[in-house]
Amino acid sequence: MAVEKEVGKDGAEERVVLPRHQEPATPASAEMTAGLKIVSYALNNHGEYELTPDFVWQPVSVVNQQAWQEIEKKIDCSRQRVAAGRVSCLHYYMTAHQMDVTLVAQYTGQPRWKVLLHLAPFVYARLSSRSLAKYARLYKISVDELRHGRLLPPVYNLETEQSRA
Amino acid sequence: MHNLLFDFPHRQSAHCESGVAANLLTQRGIKISEAMAFGIGGGLFFGYLPFIRINGLPLVTYRSPAGHILRQIASINEVCMYEKKFRNPDEAMAALDQALAASLPVGLQTGVFWLPYFPKALRFHFNAHNLVVYGKQGEEYLISDPVFPAPVRCPAEDLARARFASGALAPKGKMYYLTRTPPELDYGPLIARGIRSVCRMMLDSYFPLIGVRGIRFLAKRMRHWPQRLGRERAELHLGHVVRMQEEIGTGGGGFRFMYAAFLQEGAAIMQDQELREYAALLTAAGDAWREFAAMAVRICKGRVRPDDSYPAMVECLNQCAALEGKAFAGLKQWAKQQP
Repeated sequence: MAVEKEVGKDGAEERVVLPRHQEPATPASAEMTAGLKIVSYALNNHGEYELTPDFVWQPVSVVNQQAWQEIEKKIDCSRQRVAAGRVSCLHYYMTAHQMDVTLVAQYTGQPRWKVLLHLAPFVYARLSSRSLAKYARLYKISVDELRHGRLLPPVYNLETEQSRA
Repeated sequence: MHNLLFDFPHRQSAHCESGVAANLLTQRGIKISEAMAFGIGGGLFFGYLPFIRINGLPLVTYRSPAGHILRQIASINEVCMYEKKFRNPDEAMAALDQALAASLPVGLQTGVFWLPYFPKALRFHFNAHNLVVYGKQGEEYLISDPVFPAPVRCPAEDLARARFASGALAPKGKMYYLTRTPPELDYGPLIARGIRSVCRMMLDSYFPLIGVRGIRFLAKRMRHWPQRLGRERAELHLGHVVRMQEEIGTGGGGFRFMYAAFLQEGAAIMQDQELREYAALLTAAGDAWREFAAMAVRICKGRVRPDDSYPAMVECLNQCAALEGKAFAGLKQWAKQQP
C-alpha cells in the first residue's frame, strides 16, 4: 500500500534527525525553498566551524509546511465565506496575502474602520473606482477584476510561477 | 544612468544583517567574516515576549533587535556610517540612485514579502531583512542578498515596495552606507566589547522574559501549553518557536552555532584557549536547541516516540538555559579580565 510505504520512508528520514547538519538533504526540503541553497555553520573533522552549503534542515521544512497549511486553511475558509456572500472578495485578497485589517489599512492609507466597512459585500458593491484602485494597486490586479469579484491567486504564487517559466 | 555597476564581493552568509555588515566592510578592504561581524555586533540574544503577537503567535527571538549589529559596527572608532530613513518612496529611490552613482554599495532594510526573487515558502511579512544594492541596469537593481548563493536582480517597483513595507518593524526605506573605515580593525577590544554586551543581555537583565531567564520562562509556560491552548494550538505555537529558531537566517541552532564560530575565531586571533572552551559550551547549547527542535517537530507531525512529550521538551529547554548560563557566566568573567 502506497500510504504505508510513504510512512515507512518518512520514518527512516526521521531517524537521521540528529543534532547538527549531517543529515542528507532531501528533495522535499529542496522543493519548499525552490532549490535555494543556504549556508549554515557546521563543525568539520578538526572541530573547527566552517560555513557549509546546505539544503534547509529537514525539520525546518516540516514546520514551514505547517505554517503554510495554516495559511491555506484560512484562505479556503475565506473563499467559502466570499462564495456564500458573507464577505466581499477583499477579504479573500487580504487573507491570501497574509494580512489583517490593520496591515491593509496601513498599506492603503485608510483608517481601519473603512477597510472593515469595505469587507461587507453591501458596501463593497457601491465602492467607487478610486477606492477600488487602492486595493488593486496593493494586490497587483486590475480594478475590473476586483469589480467582478474574481479570486486570483496571491502575488507570491504568480511570481513564483513566472520565475519558473 | 541606465547602466551602473561596480564590483561587490558577494559572499553568502547565514544571517542577513551580519552578512551585510561583513560584506560592506570587506568591500572597503577590511577582511572580516560573517561570524566575526555577528560577535562584534553582539548579535546573540534570547527573548520570549508573549504580549507581542506575530500572526497571533507569541514573539520568540534568538537574536538582538533588528539593526543592533549594524549600530554596534557603526560605533566602532573611525568607522562612519551614513543612515537615513524616508517618508516618500520616490525620494528614497532617488537617494539610492544618487549613492549608486557615487559608486557606493548601499545597504537597505526591506520587507521579505514583496521581494519577487524570494522562494514562495519564505514570503512572510517579515520586515527586518537586510541586503546590499550594488548596481542598476535599466529598471532593475543588482542586489547582493547575503542569504542567496549568488547576486540577484529585482525590478525597481518591487524594491520600492519592499523598502516601504508596513507592519511591525517597518523599514521606512532605511538605507545606509559606510563613509569612512580605518585601514584595519583592532580586534581584541572589539571582541571583548561584543562579548560584554551579549553577557549583559543574557545574564543581567531585570526583565524576566529575556536572556537565560527568558529561556526558563518559555520552558515554564510550554509545560502548560497543551492544557491551556488545546493540542492543535499548542502544536502551532511549537512550530512557530522552531521556525524562529531554525529557519533561514539563523545559521542553525538559533544562532548558537554562529556565535560558537565567532568565539573560535576570536580564540585564534587573541591566542586565548579559554574562548575555545566557551565555544564548545555554546556548541553544546546549540545541539540541545536542535534536540528540542527535532522533538517538537516529531510532536507536530504526530510521530511521537516513547520519550517525546511536553515535559521532555521542557527538560531540554532547561538544559539549554543551564548550558548558556554557564557559558555566559564564564565569558563575563573572561571579559572582565580584558583591558
